[in-house]
Amino acid sequence: MSLASSRIRNFCIIAHIDHGKSTLADRLLEFTGTMSARELKEQVLDSMDLERERGITIKLHSVRLQYKAKDGEVYELNLIDTPGHVDFSYEVSRSLAACEGALLVVDAAQGIEAQTLANVYLALENDLEIIPVINKIDLPSADPEMVKREIEDVIGIDASEAILASAKNGIGVEEILEAIVHRIPPPQGDDEKPLKALIFDSKFDSYRGAIPYIRIFDGKVRRGTNIKMMSSGKIFEVTEVGIFTPGMTIVEELKAGQVGYLAGSIKNVQDTRVGDTITDADNPVAEPLPGYRKAVSMVFCGLYPVESSDYDKLKDALEKLQLNDASLVFENETSVALGMGFRCGFLGLLHMEIIQERLEREFALNIITTAPSVVYKVNKTNGEHVLVDNPALLPPLGQIESIEEPVVRASIMVPSEYIGTIMELNQEKRGTFLNMDYITPTRVNLHYELPLSEIVYDYFDQLKSRTKGYASLDYELKGYKEANLVKLDILVNGELVDALSFIVHREKAYQRARKLVEKLRGLIPRQMFEVPIQAVIGSKVIARENIRALRKDVLAKCYGGDITRKRKLLEKQKEGKKRMKQVGSVEIPQDAFMAVLKMDD
Amino acid sequence: MPSLYVHVPFCLKKCAYCAFYSIPLAGCREDWKGIYLQAVAEEAKLRSKEAQGGVSSLFLGGGTPTILEPLELDSLLSAIHKNFSFGSPQNTASPPEGSKAQQKEIEKTVEANPGTLTKEKLNVLVSYGINRISLGAQSFNDRMLVQIGRIHNKEDIRRSVWLIRQGGIHNLNLDLIFGLPGQTLTDWQDTLRRAVELEPEHLSLYALMLEEGTPLARKFSSNPLNVVEEGDPVLPDDDIQADMYEWAAGFLQQQGYRHYEISNFARAGFECRHNLTYWQSEEYLGLGPGAVSCLGGVRTKNTENLELYGKLLFAGREAFDPLETEVLTREQKISEYLMLALRTAKGVDLNAFTQKFKESIQDIYGLKLIKYIDKGVLIQDEGRLRVNPRYFFVLNSLLVDIICQ
Repeated sequence: MSLASSRIRNFCIIAHIDHGKSTLADRLLEFTGTMSARELKEQVLDSMDLERERGITIKLHSVRLQYKAKDGEVYELNLIDTPGHVDFSYEVSRSLAACEGALLVVDAAQGIEAQTLANVYLALENDLEIIPVINKIDLPSADPEMVKREIEDVIGIDASEAILASAKNGIGVEEILEAIVHRIPPPQGDDEKPLKALIFDSKFDSYRGAIPYIRIFDGKVRRGTNIKMMSSGKIFEVTEVGIFTPGMTIVEELKAGQVGYLAGSIKNVQDTRVGDTITDADNPVAEPLPGYRKAVSMVFCGLYPVESSDYDKLKDALEKLQLNDASLVFENETSVALGMGFRCGFLGLLHMEIIQERLEREFALNIITTAPSVVYKVNKTNGEHVLVDNPALLPPLGQIESIEEPVVRASIMVPSEYIGTIMELNQEKRGTFLNMDYITPTRVNLHYELPLSEIVYDYFDQLKSRTKGYASLDYELKGYKEANLVKLDILVNGELVDALSFIVHREKAYQRARKLVEKLRGLIPRQMFEVPIQAVIGSKVIARENIRALRKDVLAKCYGGDITRKRKLLEKQKEGKKRMKQVGSVEIPQDAFMAVLKMDD
Repeated sequence: MPSLYVHVPFCLKKCAYCAFYSIPLAGCREDWKGIYLQAVAEEAKLRSKEAQGGVSSLFLGGGTPTILEPLELDSLLSAIHKNFSFGSPQNTASPPEGSKAQQKEIEKTVEANPGTLTKEKLNVLVSYGINRISLGAQSFNDRMLVQIGRIHNKEDIRRSVWLIRQGGIHNLNLDLIFGLPGQTLTDWQDTLRRAVELEPEHLSLYALMLEEGTPLARKFSSNPLNVVEEGDPVLPDDDIQADMYEWAAGFLQQQGYRHYEISNFARAGFECRHNLTYWQSEEYLGLGPGAVSCLGGVRTKNTENLELYGKLLFAGREAFDPLETEVLTREQKISEYLMLALRTAKGVDLNAFTQKFKESIQDIYGLKLIKYIDKGVLIQDEGRLRVNPRYFFVLNSLLVDIICQ
């Protein structure tokens, strides 16, 4: 180990949403003088609005801190931030793999949550040194002793040296920095060995192309090095290497143990996939770092422009978002009802919502989103197997032998008084009970197998509302399971509205169909003629509502002085209608297409 | 030959639903009526050149024209008659059907409100050939009349009708409003029956419109859920209003009235010729503050500010509000033509349309028209295209779909 790398510490922060991760990170930046309070504020202002509003990290950040420890030495501390949501668990695992240690931040009043636990286990699997930090100790409801016991009982690590902190008020910050220096081991690695670097994130810069964020395990990289992406074999010449201070600062070279970025005119983020290993093309390593996999889309939905003339704008916007987000996939899709659009794949529901919101906010697009769907495996009677991510494309009933749906293993952590509630919910959601552990006498971790489609539907909202927000959820894809599934189609005025079709368990079909047609009756405005709305399975109608004909839509008075105003009124009315989609002779407003998603409002 | 409209912007008091330009006399400066009369006389003189071939009809609207004193009415009508000649109605584009007596006479209407008419005023009107009175009866339910801020009661209506008939007016219109707060179908039926008992030649039935800025709109539009204090009247919903409309149309037809425009019913030959000029997209000249003219494809509107109106005219200038002047494009003309013509039972004369716009209506709207003809909403026969009266009350939906491109 070189002297230099003995003074490097690579760490991340594991915390539940709201438990104070960002605030703590800010304090660390401030205490080490990396950024002043004023610069911090500006920095925060620069980050995505969405992240601030939701209090979560969507995109990973990384920063190098220079810390002069009490032993008089100056240490290089690399903080690698992690996203705090189940959709991004793979990204989290790669960030953890880039570190030797982790701060486990737990709210002194609330204790450990499911997501935190899942990430701690990931950290332990990666042999990270865990430093428990009990945050918000100055809250009146803080119970640090209880939280310590929880950490010891659930995670099985020694919490006696847990640091009591209040990031908000700067309590315990120095202690944390000292613990990072003394308890987290310096990175191992050899500068002289061939280059082996892990990509833990990447971003796209319009001048420098795709920029991988990397942790060097062995070797070094500098301007002029020919690098090879081990998953694809593609070779690029490095034009720049640098570190995060937190802005990008060019350095001569990056060596084993260090964290930074490189640029090399890489045109596409698809070539800088998280988890991939970068090596020296002229002196490659034989084996990549373990753990690489391509991002798998769990949830799909159709995205359509409200105005069909915005199709190209939408395509352009998706392409731009994809530059920074290799996990976003999309392809052309045409709907009879909605026209030309895209079928998009996402890591999960949050990821989907983020992309939708960014399209609307950053690209000022009006989009219609169809209900999210999971990917079904359809076994056809002719022996073929097909994957279906769009209910409208499900083969006809007669050709289906069976349908399999993705199932997840879910962990739900709740106060024990809600065990009954959770069991009831999971029963409704077709869950299979696996087991249950008591974390403390008053908190449990319930393990269930659940169909992913149920989670995508409204599981999370139900979970939160039925447990007053106390429950936390984590899940991972387990595999596929056969289920009695049917496709429900909606006919408006006798015409199939393909964008409203969805796949549902047969036992729930009737209830969901009733709710949906009722909801659609309320959302579709009355037209000149009565409009029937029918829910059908195959050719069998299982629910029906009628939208009564419109009876009054008239200008009672129209004389000389009224004409201009009345003409403009009609023009305005026409503008309002443009925001609706014409299906046959019926105008359907955008909200109607989302009704499938939110039927329990 | 344009028709002539003269706006009289004075009222005793403002009604709760009214969005027209009018000044309540209570809050009015003493000299304003004088300024108005002089200025209108100036405007009549100035703009008489725009109707050198004469005018086809006269309509004195308001406001409440009959709020003027007999001498004031005399001075107003005298100025009008000095500057405009009243052409022969045979020259108008489409003479209404009916008796010969009706055809010979130029239609001259004055709007009046019950309680403001006197024998003396009527004598003045008749002396200038006024032959039609449009009376703002609105309702025969006294409670509802108070609620919408009217100054009269149902007895005033009867007295006024008697005076009008005594004065020798043989063409009487009653304006009625339905869809009033708290009104039920039965209330409305009662009002209509009482109105018909008075044997008017013409009836205008208006569904209440909440016009922006009126007290009624403030009370109900800003209150979309229709939340009111217990016991307070609520607005009848669209379905009830449609029931009221349908019942009225059926009832009046039984009583021998023709449903010749969405909101208008008349005995044969008593269709309002002046208003038909609007619905047939003919030219019209408007005098007085806030009055609108449409001549040679240009629509202008006089300023609504009485003082400014006076100042401009006394300086020998026209009183147009520059922000309201509109040179109609071909598309706008076509849109308006249909918007207006389809309001009438006769609908659009297809040949006249082609002649006017050098393109047939089918060429412009093609498939959309066929769709509605197939569904029975539009009827094409005898060279005309008209709306099935069953769909009059949802005409906007049709217009929005077919005319606005």
